[in-house]
Order: sequence, then structure tokens, then C-alpha cells
Amino acid sequence: MTSPAHLKIRNVTRRFNVNGTALTALDDVSLDIKAGEFVTIVGASGCGKSTLLRLGAGLDVEHDGVIEHGGRRVDGPSLDRGIVFQEPRLFPWLTVERNVSLGLENAAFSKAEKRELVSEQIALVGLSGFEKAYPHQLSGGMAQRAGIARGLVNRPDVLFLDEPFGALDAITKARLQGELQQIWAAEKITMVLVTHDVDEAVYLGDRVVIMSPRPGRIRQIVPVDLPHPRERTSPELAAIRNGVLDILNGTTGEAPKPVTRPSAARRPAASANPIHAAHRTKPARPAFSTTEI
Amino acid sequence: MSSFTNMASSATGAVGSNKTVGWKGLANRRGARRAAIGLILPVMLVLYWWLASSRGWLPEQILPSPAYVYTTAVEMIVSGEIAYHAGMSLRRVVYGFLFGAMAGLSLGMAMGLSRTVDDYVRPLFLAFAQIPTLGWIPLLMLIFGIGEALKIIVIAKGALVPMTLNTAAGIRSVPANYVEVGRALRFSRLQTLRLIVLPGAAHSIFTGVRYGLTHSWTALVGVELLASSEGLGYLLVWGRQMFWLDVVIVAMIVIGIVGFVMDKGFDLAESYLQRWKRGEA
Repeated sequence: MTSPAHLKIRNVTRRFNVNGTALTALDDVSLDIKAGEFVTIVGASGCGKSTLLRLGAGLDVEHDGVIEHGGRRVDGPSLDRGIVFQEPRLFPWLTVERNVSLGLENAAFSKAEKRELVSEQIALVGLSGFEKAYPHQLSGGMAQRAGIARGLVNRPDVLFLDEPFGALDAITKARLQGELQQIWAAEKITMVLVTHDVDEAVYLGDRVVIMSPRPGRIRQIVPVDLPHPRERTSPELAAIRNGVLDILNGTTGEAPKPVTRPSAARRPAASANPIHAAHRTKPARPAFSTTEI
Repeated sequence: MSSFTNMASSATGAVGSNKTVGWKGLANRRGARRAAIGLILPVMLVLYWWLASSRGWLPEQILPSPAYVYTTAVEMIVSGEIAYHAGMSLRRVVYGFLFGAMAGLSLGMAMGLSRTVDDYVRPLFLAFAQIPTLGWIPLLMLIFGIGEALKIIVIAKGALVPMTLNTAAGIRSVPANYVEVGRALRFSRLQTLRLIVLPGAAHSIFTGVRYGLTHSWTALVGVELLASSEGLGYLLVWGRQMFWLDVVIVAMIVIGIVGFVMDKGFDLAESYLQRWKRGEA
């Protein structure tokens, strides 16, 4: 809000300790994000894209290298950096209105201003009329709208979105992508969105950061020089998408082979993603409960 | 705690308030049906009792007839005897329960929030909880005498154990994801506790309150049996000594009814406080 939102990520490395072995989730990642930019990060699972997002938001600070936001080191969460999770993480015991207003719990606004901001934000995400509804009464798309409203209500400099539409059906997803784009254009908030959906990445991003897994690195950054709002079906967008797909296929080291049906016995078993497992494992010193505050 | 997860997938969408009336009507009908079913066994029990006493399966001195017990009950209600003894008992339970529940809530919160406290306290606490409430009475009697203090302490202990364990378990079960939201929003410890942890643990804490109340009530009757000159437990002992089994049965029925009403009352209070759950699958 005060300084121009400029996110600087320099030589960032993040290692996790999984059962005694060090696992490099991010290896020497550098990325600059301009104020007002919409950056999307795309990659196969295990490429560290969510790790990078958590580091940028300040939810995780155990890394090498430098992360700065507006010239100041990111050393924890801040109200200048909003976050939207894949699961909306609304509190089931609070109404939509109360859930959104939690984003302002520690903001320096008067009560009246807060009420104003909350209703404005709810209107912005198209949930007017559902202020008093409880989360279990909402559809998945509506719940995620409320999640976005909570992330935006404090007018952060940067909004981080961690696969926000990953759990939604295709139609709801497309609609919410369009709405997010409008919000971004209207509010001029820097947005960083992590996704595994290439269409989503090129449709929304000014730049698409393509990451490769094991260890997580930035493979390439593809600019999308098309004006917003974009036409989903435009040939330019399709061309960029195909380019991104090609690069992505390169990251996993597998050229697309002609599709044959492997016998059930030879079909490879889905392997667990060690980085996600690392997120789930508790710190090495489990002296605290997870709910310890 | 399945209600806390999979929120994204609960795509019910129907917020229409016009539907609620119909649902409420249906719920009431269903509730009446269930209440009627719940009455079947008690009615059968009374019938059997009536049969047993009228056929003389047991001597009348041991099993008085329902009609006789009913007359005694009416007499005792009219004379105020029931109200007096039940009032004494209730007063003890209220004090003892509040005392025990407060202590249990504090201890359970400490154990739920801090792994260290839990590690220190839990083994001793579990061993302590294994000793039946009545097992404490001989020792406590020597320390506190047989006055009100003894009764309050025994009742408080009855509430303490379930309150502590359920509070601790409830706090543990609050998803780490929720706490992380609080971190992202820069909540202080107090805010996290007030806005996330306690509401998230509320259901479990309520279970603790209900069990605590039941245990308190049971402990009360126990302690009154041993050391008292008034209260429902005393009524039982006194009736037995005088061989007035009608008084004993009246006292038993009153104890059961009061306990049932208290439990139901908390049930209603909980569903009011947790009304956000209404209609949740």
C-alpha cells in the first residue's frame, strides 16, 4: 500500500528434511515481479511451485537467498501480502461476511470502514446476498470466491494464489478465472498464481514462469504480450500455450509417445510426491502440537 | 471432525430460506416419532413392575406397587420434601460442576495447546482418572471431613476428567490449515485462540461438558450416600434404613429425571450455539 509492490526473489534455495535425507525443493531460484504484474507459475508436481509461493507470502521463511517485497525483507506473513489457498479454508462456524472480515481483524480501519470494505469486497466477488450464509451452504465456486474476498479485503500489495481453482469444475473454473482477471484489472494488485493448468497460466499471466522438478528450478519465463481481457480461443493465445506445453514436456524429460495401452501389470504406479510429503511432515523437533500458537 | 474437512466438495448451494420451514416441520415430526419410540421401553418397564407387584413375585416390602410409589411421590412433592432434597443436591452439583469444569477447561486447554504440558501431565492425569470418583472418598473424608467441601470436591473431580480430556482432544483436532490462515492474517496468539482454536474445539468441549455433568451427578449421589443428612442420595440411604422402598424408588426416579433433563438441556444449548452446523451433511 505504501511502497510499490515489487517482489524480488534472489538465489533462493529451500531444502526439506525428509526422514533424514535432505530434499531440495527449490534450487537457486531468482525471479523479479513488477508492481501490478500478473505472474503465473506452472510446472509438474514436485517442481516446488507451491513452496515458492509460500516463501513469497512469508508463510515459510527457512530458505537461503533473499526475498524482498517493496525493498523489505520478507520475514513472515504480512497484511500487505494476501494469500488464497486451494481449499478455501473458510471457518465453518462463521458466516461469509465474518469470514471475509477476518482479513481485516488486524487492519487499522474503523469499524464502519471495515464493514464498508467487507461488503464492497463481497460484491466484487459476486457474493452479494450470501453475506449471512455459512460455508457449508455454499458451492465450491462460491466458497472460493469468499476465500478470494478474504485475501483481497485488506487491499494487499500482492495476492498469492495457490492453485485456487484446482478443485473446481471446468465451467466454474473458467468463470472465476475471468472474474479474477477483472478484479486484477480493477484493483491493480500484483498477483502471483500457482497452477498446474497451462491454459489457466497463459490466459491469466503477463508472464508464465515454467518450473522443472527435482530439484525445483525455473526452466523458462514466457511473456504473454496480449492485452487483457483475453480471448480464450484466440490463435495467438493457443500458440503461446502450445509453446509452454512443449517446454513443460521437456521438463519431465519425456517426449510424448504414441499412446498405447500398457497392460495393467506394467502400468507404473503413481509415485508419491516427496515435496508434498515434506510439507506434511512435521518439523524435525516435534515438541509442539500443530495447533500450538 | 469430518465437518471441518472437504468444505470445497460440499456443493449444496441451497440457501433458499423458503425451504427451511418445510424442513423444520419434517424435523419436528421426526423428533416426535423418535420421542415416542423412546417412551416404549419405560412404559413396558412400568407395566412389568405393576405385573410383578400385583402378582406378588416379590414381597411388597421389597417391591412396592407403582400405585403406592405414585401416592408417596405426590405426598413428597406436596410436602416440599422432594424440592428440598433435590434443591440441596442441585446446589452441590452446580458448585462442584462449575469448579471442576473450569479447572478441566483450563487444564485441557494447556494440554491441548502445549505438547510440553501434555507430556508432563498426561500420564499422571490418566492414572488419576482411572481411580473411580468414589474411590477418592475415604482419603478425602479424612482430609476434608464430611462437610460440604468434601462433596464439592468429589463432584468437581467427576467433571474434571471428561472436561480435561475432551478439551485437549478438541484443541488437538483443529486443523493446522486453519491455524495457518490465522498466521497469514497476522493473528496474535489470543486472536488465534479466540477466533480459530476455541470455536474449532467447541464441539468436543461441549461433549466434555455433557459427560462432566453426567459424572458430576453420579458422583453426587455417591457422596451423598456416604456422608450427608440431606439431598437425593441421603433420601436413598434413609429410605433403605427405614425400609421405605417407596421413598427409595421415588428418589431414584427423581435422580434419573433430573439427570436426563440436564443432559437434554445441554444438548439443546449446544445445538443452539453450533447452529451453523444445521443442515450440514
